[in-house]
Amino acid sequence: MDTVQSIARGRSAAHRVSRVTTVVSHRRRQMPLIAWFFLSPVALLLLALIAYPLLDVAWESFHYVNLTNPTATGFSGFDNFETVFQDDDLLPAIWNTVLWTGLSVAGEYVLGLSAAVALAGPIRGGAFFRAFIIIPWLIPIVVAGLDWSWILAPDYGVLNLWLVHLGVLSHPVDWLGQMNTALLTVTLANVWRTFPFYTISFLAALQAVPPELHEAAALDGAPAWRRFWHISMPHLRPVTLTLVTLHVIWTAVNFDFIWVMTAGGPLNASTTLPILIYRYAMRNFDVGAACALAGMMMSAMATMFFLYRYGTMGLMRPRGRRLKTGEA
Amino acid sequence: MAMVGTQAPFVRAVRYGVLAAFSVFCLFPFLWMVDTAFKPMDEVLSSAPSFIIRHPTLFNFETVLLHSPFLIYLRNSCIVSGFSTVLTMISSTFCAYVLSRWSRQRPVRVLSGALLASQMIPGVLLLVPLYMTMRDLGLLSTYFSLIIVYCTFMVPLTVFMLRSFFDGVPLELEEAAELDGCSRSAFLVRVLLPLSVPGLLATGLFGFVTAWNEFMFGYVLINDDAHRTLTPGIMLFRGAHETDWGSLMAASVLTILPVGISFLYLQRFLSLGLTVGAVKG
Repeated sequence: MDTVQSIARGRSAAHRVSRVTTVVSHRRRQMPLIAWFFLSPVALLLLALIAYPLLDVAWESFHYVNLTNPTATGFSGFDNFETVFQDDDLLPAIWNTVLWTGLSVAGEYVLGLSAAVALAGPIRGGAFFRAFIIIPWLIPIVVAGLDWSWILAPDYGVLNLWLVHLGVLSHPVDWLGQMNTALLTVTLANVWRTFPFYTISFLAALQAVPPELHEAAALDGAPAWRRFWHISMPHLRPVTLTLVTLHVIWTAVNFDFIWVMTAGGPLNASTTLPILIYRYAMRNFDVGAACALAGMMMSAMATMFFLYRYGTMGLMRPRGRRLKTGEA
Repeated sequence: MAMVGTQAPFVRAVRYGVLAAFSVFCLFPFLWMVDTAFKPMDEVLSSAPSFIIRHPTLFNFETVLLHSPFLIYLRNSCIVSGFSTVLTMISSTFCAYVLSRWSRQRPVRVLSGALLASQMIPGVLLLVPLYMTMRDLGLLSTYFSLIIVYCTFMVPLTVFMLRSFFDGVPLELEEAAELDGCSRSAFLVRVLLPLSVPGLLATGLFGFVTAWNEFMFGYVLINDDAHRTLTPGIMLFRGAHETDWGSLMAASVLTILPVGISFLYLQRFLSLGLTVGAVKG
């Protein structure tokens, strides 16, 4: 019985293999030696430039390392963490990071989605509008930061002069030089540069929604906003989750924008955690403290990332099809 | 389609209004930069600024090109971005080929997982240890340090992009080549690469632009004018006291010129670039 089955199985398997083998042979076959050789440069780069520095951060956060004082060496226990926690700038920096990240991502999402919805579907001149909207995203962060610094300049900046001329402002405002506006102003510039990324992604997702769904709903008399809410939005859910996660990470760790526009100032009004890490290492020369803060930030972000991965598994599937038109 | 296609005039008007507002929002800062670059000093520092330039001038470009280290920065950026692109492309091509052909093998899955994870690891966290390493090796303020460090963010991007191009080359071609006695490396060089030229070019350009735009590592790892790249360089144009905005904007325009030209070619590959995370936020 056993043998008969195994022979039958073997024969059918052999039969299948003979047909399929030519197609899948490369994927099934053991990797040849040369493939290992081909992988090695990238593997070495990853080990040297990512894995080693990561271990180094962990190591140095528990050691005294100072750029100007070579005698400060040895195991430090939790001293570096204490330095970080006793810094009065830490809490404001955390709050600024949360504010900067939250407002940036929210602004990018709202603008990105509005622009994508306005662009989706047939419209005359759509290609031009799309090209215009992509422009900010092509501009390097440094240039975008300098450009906005010029527009917002308190003396000859065009925004201030025009707003005063129109009577909106009574006198020019030093947007980047005031404690209460600095971070919000950099956020605006960041939203300006980043939202096109959302628009392009949302537009692609909107165009992938089967048009029959909209047609059927329209036949049943569903108004446009209702079709958008019940058909388009569910289809956007996967791309939204990916975009928001990536940008929460990229924004929270962004050093360039804030450094170019305000350098964390005035005082500490726009200091976020990456600025603080930089300052520990390059201004205070306290590499140990910089690594302690970097390590903590990385752990916090990794934790959030895994919570997201396992918390939103179920949300990743688009649910638009199931809703169809019944409710409308 | 007819049902959805016929839009109420009101909806159409709202769409046009929204798109017009977005166009102004997106274009204005860009156009103002270009506009300022062509203005003479007295019009840049005018208390009634307007788009109209009464006396257009190339003076700002002259200042930047002839009386500032701009050309040195430009050369340095070309060297650093160029060499890091070449280095990245060579190592990524072999890796992407293996990732495309043996995608189910465990070592391949481990490596592609590591590459994906490395895209998530922010540069600012690697900054301090990389700085320390370069200092210990005596490589601060050298091209080599930047070229090597730029690989951290370029390699994952180019590997994933190249893999998607290689996935499009049918396996049958490789089998046919194999039957004819072609070795794997010969197949790679004689068949796969010639077939993927548009993809290679797009990937290389995406990598180049990413390196060109990088700021933080260039700012921290390079401390002398002779090796400084453009992005940190133009930031330093911003004077400690009075800023020459006309020249600064001229330098900005010159800096984004290569990026703009690259994207004329790259726009076809934009969606692919997005999915592999070509240009980080």
